[in-house]
Amino acid sequence: MSDESNEVPATGSPEHYAIGIAFGNSYSSIAHISGEGKVEVIANEEGDRQIPSVLSYIEGEEYHGTQAKAQLVRNSKNTVAYFRDFIGKDYKSIDPTPCHASAHPIEVDGQICFSIRDTDSETENKVSVQEITARHLRRLKNSASDFVGKPVTAAVVAIPTDTSDEQKAALTKAAASIELEILQFMPEPIAALLAYDSRVPDSGADKNVLVADFGGHRSDVAVIASRGGMYSILATAHDYELGGAQLDQILIDHFAKEFEKKNKTDPRKNERSLAKLRLEAEAVKKALSQSTSATFSVESLADGVDFRSTINRSRYEILALKTFGRFTRLVEEVIKKADLDVLDIDEIILSGGASHTPKIAKNIEAIFPESTRVLAPATVTTALSPSELSARGAALQASLIQEFDKEDIDQSTHEMVTVTPHLTAAVGYQVSDQPADSFKVLIPAETALPARRSKVIDGLEGDVLIRICEGEREIKVTQSETMPKTNGTKDGDEDAEDDDDSDVDEDDEPEEIREKIWKPKQALAEFVFKGLPKKSKVEIMVNVDADSSVSFTARHVGGKGGVRGEIKAAEVAQNGSA
Amino acid sequence: WKGDSDATPNFRALGKLSPPVMRKIEPFGAQFLAYARRKRHGRTFSEDDRI
Repeated sequence: MSDESNEVPATGSPEHYAIGIAFGNSYSSIAHISGEGKVEVIANEEGDRQIPSVLSYIEGEEYHGTQAKAQLVRNSKNTVAYFRDFIGKDYKSIDPTPCHASAHPIEVDGQICFSIRDTDSETENKVSVQEITARHLRRLKNSASDFVGKPVTAAVVAIPTDTSDEQKAALTKAAASIELEILQFMPEPIAALLAYDSRVPDSGADKNVLVADFGGHRSDVAVIASRGGMYSILATAHDYELGGAQLDQILIDHFAKEFEKKNKTDPRKNERSLAKLRLEAEAVKKALSQSTSATFSVESLADGVDFRSTINRSRYEILALKTFGRFTRLVEEVIKKADLDVLDIDEIILSGGASHTPKIAKNIEAIFPESTRVLAPATVTTALSPSELSARGAALQASLIQEFDKEDIDQSTHEMVTVTPHLTAAVGYQVSDQPADSFKVLIPAETALPARRSKVIDGLEGDVLIRICEGEREIKVTQSETMPKTNGTKDGDEDAEDDDDSDVDEDDEPEEIREKIWKPKQALAEFVFKGLPKKSKVEIMVNVDADSSVSFTARHVGGKGGVRGEIKAAEVAQNGSA
Repeated sequence: WKGDSDATPNFRALGKLSPPVMRKIEPFGAQFLAYARRKRHGRTFSEDDRI
């Protein structure tokens, strides 16, 4: 690969054309930055933007994407699917459950392989997962090259946050074998956040963002501190048995039972029938995200009997109630892991295919205060498609770094650069003549150092003291009028859904009003302004250096002179973890 | 109320910042690239602004 990058580029044509690739277990997508500078998700030759990560072989011919996925019914043994999470892993550590309906992973010389007939001959070949990945990436690369009209040579690939270095190395190797240079691996939640942030011109706002990536066979959530456009991951949580496939299963069971009632056979017992059920259930689930009812129909589902039925969204939501709850709980879990409260989250980005489900978005919206923005198609009309976020973010990053040398990228992403001190407490200010505990945040906690923030305080008059201090966030809980009941615990909510009679009692549960308040903790410095005229404005600026020394400036806007001061560094503790 | 010294009559330092924790910044996005450039060249914000 190094030979490649050292080549002198041909005159005129750019050395690199880099795209963004989202490589998932279930679906992959590719995106680039169009001539007008807009992010564009690329459709493959079949017109799909969500390209199933499936490869299938019939008499030596390779099928990919949607065509390959259709082969799961008639040619499942020579169809490889759900292999992303196997790359660079030990055979013993993988969960082959999703591959039950397609080619099974087997162990050959310690490597994970699939035994498939991928050539003309009748014999089965053992193809390593590495090779399968390379073939899949080649198809993606070719689709992108055809679309943009020039050869794609490099990519930024979005991957889950828990991808190991071995997995990254294996992916890099697979990509190198098809002459695709992976410039950088990008965590999926960061890609999703970048996809949204790039839409607003001033994305440097300080905010805590929760990114929930609900995929096909796994779900990953992350809490990210976004400070001045820089991102630090505070916590991540994963559920490897939760995703769209669990929702498909609910529909499979529902329709299989209905079929069994009419025809006395269970279509789940026959492999081919089950494969048909699975494909159609996924299509019905997608339809239910768009409209309030959907038709399920399979020709010759079992015993040569056609099956047709309909389902409406509310029925589906009742059937999937428990599973939907698991998505919400995963979100709650990650907030707990980050040592935060729902009130601390400013924005939620729903990513991944299952995030199209309106009820999942609504449920998540319900556990957060109204001020929290939930970015999903069901909650915000301007939301981007959850399926496209990772590819979009990766494409944006690819366009930013494609001009750089590999060495430059490596140096910039080195831990010397990326591991930095972050503030443990928020820095803010208090102004005299205001309530003693009034505290306004200037630089929030978890901001990477060095950091600089300024703020204009207006409406000042006379002699004013401004104190810069560290503050602490507290959650204040007040009970509303009604008396608390002994059984008014959180568990009561779930019971209420099963038992209608208890509903009345539960409604009487006193409503807790929870609010976020700031308490000034440690004073850092004070300024005095004397004899300010009415309605004066004072601009304060706080600059915290990497060694945690702080410098302050304050000036009366429109007045002359200013106040400067600084405090020296404190000692650095080495106990951070991301 | 008294300032720190005659040179800074209107300013008084009161305490130190709580010790920070070490965390990793994710190396993505335009702002990060600007940060990496500053760090690698040892520049401050204002020096960077001038360029």
